[in-house]
Amino acid sequence: MKSFSSDAQAAIVERYPSHFRPDWWSRAKITIGLGTAVALFLFGIAQLDIPFHRLSDGMARLGGFLRLMLPPDPGSWAEALKYLNALGETVSIAFLGTLGGALLALPVALLAARNVVANRIVHFFSRRSLDTIRGVDILIWALIWVGVVGLGPFAGILAVICSDFGTFGKLFSEAIEAADKNPAEGVRSAGGNHLHGVRFGLLPQVFPILLSQVLYYFESNTRSATIIGIVGAGGIGLQLAEQIRVLEWQKVSFLILLILIAVSAIDWISGKLRFAIIGRRAVA
Amino acid sequence: MLVVEGLTCRFGTKAAVDNASFSIQPGSFVGVIGRSGAGKSTLLRMINRLAEPSEGRILFEGVDVTALRGKDLRQWRARSAMIFQQFNLVGRLDVLTNVLMGRLAAVPSWRSLAQLWPERDKAIAMSALEQFDMASIAAQRADQLSGGQQQRVAIARALVQEPDIILADEPIASLDPRNTRVVMDALLRINKHFGITVVCNLHSLDLARSYCDRLIGMASGRIVFDGAPVALTDRIARELYDLEANEVMDATPALAPGGSAVPALGTVAAA
Amino acid sequence: MGRSRDLPIPALEKSMRTAVPEFPEARLQELADRYADAVAAKRRRVWLGSAVLIAAALAAGWMGDVDFRKFAENFWRFPAYFASIAPTFSFSSAWNDLSEWLWGLPRWTLLLGDTLLIAYMGTLSGAICGFVLCFLASANLVRSRTIVFVTRRLLEFCRTVPDIVFALIFVLAFGLGPLPGVLAIAIHTTGALGKQFAEVVENIDNKPIEGVAASGGSWIQIVRFGAVPQVLSNFVSYALLRFEINVRGAAVMGFVGAGGIGQDLIEAVRKFYYSDVSAILLLIIVTVMLFDFITERVRHRLLGLEGTGA
Ligand SMILES: Nc1ncnc2c1ncn2[C@@H]1O[C@H](COP(=O)(O)OP(=O)(O)O)[C@@H](O)[C@H]1O
Ligand SMILES: [Mg+2]
Repeated sequence: MKSFSSDAQAAIVERYPSHFRPDWWSRAKITIGLGTAVALFLFGIAQLDIPFHRLSDGMARLGGFLRLMLPPDPGSWAEALKYLNALGETVSIAFLGTLGGALLALPVALLAARNVVANRIVHFFSRRSLDTIRGVDILIWALIWVGVVGLGPFAGILAVICSDFGTFGKLFSEAIEAADKNPAEGVRSAGGNHLHGVRFGLLPQVFPILLSQVLYYFESNTRSATIIGIVGAGGIGLQLAEQIRVLEWQKVSFLILLILIAVSAIDWISGKLRFAIIGRRAVA
Repeated sequence: MLVVEGLTCRFGTKAAVDNASFSIQPGSFVGVIGRSGAGKSTLLRMINRLAEPSEGRILFEGVDVTALRGKDLRQWRARSAMIFQQFNLVGRLDVLTNVLMGRLAAVPSWRSLAQLWPERDKAIAMSALEQFDMASIAAQRADQLSGGQQQRVAIARALVQEPDIILADEPIASLDPRNTRVVMDALLRINKHFGITVVCNLHSLDLARSYCDRLIGMASGRIVFDGAPVALTDRIARELYDLEANEVMDATPALAPGGSAVPALGTVAAA
Repeated sequence: MGRSRDLPIPALEKSMRTAVPEFPEARLQELADRYADAVAAKRRRVWLGSAVLIAAALAAGWMGDVDFRKFAENFWRFPAYFASIAPTFSFSSAWNDLSEWLWGLPRWTLLLGDTLLIAYMGTLSGAICGFVLCFLASANLVRSRTIVFVTRRLLEFCRTVPDIVFALIFVLAFGLGPLPGVLAIAIHTTGALGKQFAEVVENIDNKPIEGVAASGGSWIQIVRFGAVPQVLSNFVSYALLRFEINVRGAAVMGFVGAGGIGQDLIEAVRKFYYSDVSAILLLIIVTVMLFDFITERVRHRLLGLEGTGA
């Protein structure tokens, strides 16, 4: 190898020309792909009128905010208690919302799963309605429910239920469709009807998966539940939005800290539970 | 010349390699034998610096390899090519790119990262593949190849590193008998034609006896034998392998290198 | 078929009797008890779990002011709300009604376009940052525990704080408009994708990494050739999913003044312009569904392509 001459190189190039010609096609594909992405980004800058001159100013101001945030401080014990109470509200919203959403979603997910209900029309409509519900952001749901049951955490719970109903419906039905169909076949081969197959062949294998998905979403819902307070649906978001508005930065950082701790704690717990339920697979 | 002095590697309190010392002349074909868990892999990985020695030194041509850092360390890794039991190719990349991995230390970083390999390096890689009759599959994904083919790609990768020494860690343990022969012959050929030193971990004693000109026997991290294959008596071998002795000594019939002479270029892989 | 079931099949019954041995009563009881014991532990766990769940639900219900009476009393408002925001159509003037209902269509389409752009720009910048950071957060690629720890905490922070909270703060720093929205989505996406990416990277096969390292590759080269080919298709799939989520998120960025269609929606809600609310909601839902449909196609094609190259 050390004495690889230019003659040898020329011979090799001649023998395998295809490997030495630049691959214009794949290069063009990459260039076009990257070019489009960048062009769209630049178009966005122009279209949205992004004010670059405000960027440096804003960064400076942001730095100022950050400095004012330290150290986190609730102000007084009474305030701290109020915030803790709000945090409890948020966690409750997330918990009941997740639970309610999952309970409502399960039957619809069964209808929307092709291997449970083979009817195309049922399948189509349940899927589409789940998609419609998922298309509405949780903040919009909160807005709607505040209009119905008034301000407060109850509206938040209902908002989380609605938003989770769509998400879980889709996730559940996909998990059910992905299930191994052999056990259900076994049940039917032993004389069971279709429902027996679903009950004994299908549900036992998907149930742990569904449960782990629900636990996974508990954490993500706690994060969502922190924001629905912005439109008045209870929880810590209300306090957070208010403190930001009145520029009480130390309280803001205290509230963010609370949220971080609560979410990490729930993440940890839900991780443990998921591990206990389905073992190592819990990552996804 | 490669000199190893008092090399030790501990994982926790357990010494995987314990105070190993030896030196290897350029151009020799050394077999490291011993049962599994004896510390053979750890020894080779320390020489390539994939594993950090806890104590001791490795000297190559007077340079202390254990002290190398950064760019120098990467250059040393290129000079001491590793061949793995599990091939360690990048399955998603094509064969040619896998072989070009052997040129990483020689090619400017920006060129390799952008996959704009210099023509000369590509030519070197192609000619290495050609030697093993694999030029025709240069564009295939590595994970679509058979084990034997993958190991030959890995050897080609080692070869284009222009190494002074090749460290092969049980290169044939995942292969069938036919590919075992092909791969071992390839190593032998590299050793004899290019004069590259080969240090090869082997589980099978018969293979070690028929291919190597020197054997180093390890047991629980220590070097317990060092000498010519003929000096390795059955009694020593039994001690070395303990309970596994029958398995390595009797089960496989002796596999002599292909013919009595060193196989010619480009003929081995045709089998 | 139906008839044959009623027919006695003596042969079958007999063979059943021989195939399944009949135990004496005592032995049968013993077997049943043992089975009951075996499942008792599991059943106890299920009961305990249910009890904990119910207790937690009650506590949460108390904390969350759940009031079923209020719910029952006010539930009619829910359909009523939709009824009130539903546009009025009469058969004779359907076209006029439609154009009246969607009077703001040109403006809303523009705003929806802005919303998509905000989501796109935020997702792209966030995905790039997440891509860079995820390798630093992977313990199988980075020796230094400190770097891994710090990067992870940073990503977790970015992920846990919701994008709209960032937007609230950024609006104060950068002023009203899409810029704070883009930045907020970018930061949240960095955290969310960075964490997901890092999980993917930590689960890759270590052998190619070692192979590249043993050939003398630098850290960047190890990442480029050993790790990236293994994870790229997964990354793209995750990024597209995040893009979908961000489109939804961008639609409400306007609630806090961070650009896009949300501004008009919240205004319409606040001012009780019911037909506008329904029109905008419909447009958002249609856009989101169309968008999901497209990205799902792309993702499926990517997963299908997985076999062909990286
Ligand atoms: N990364 C590691 N961490 C902990 N222990 C290790 C590690 N690598 C090897 N060992 C231990 O060191 C000993 C020697 O291993 P190895 O060098 O792989 O032996 P061989 O290759 O001869 O089978 C074994 O007992 C093994 O368990
Ligand atoms: Mg080994």
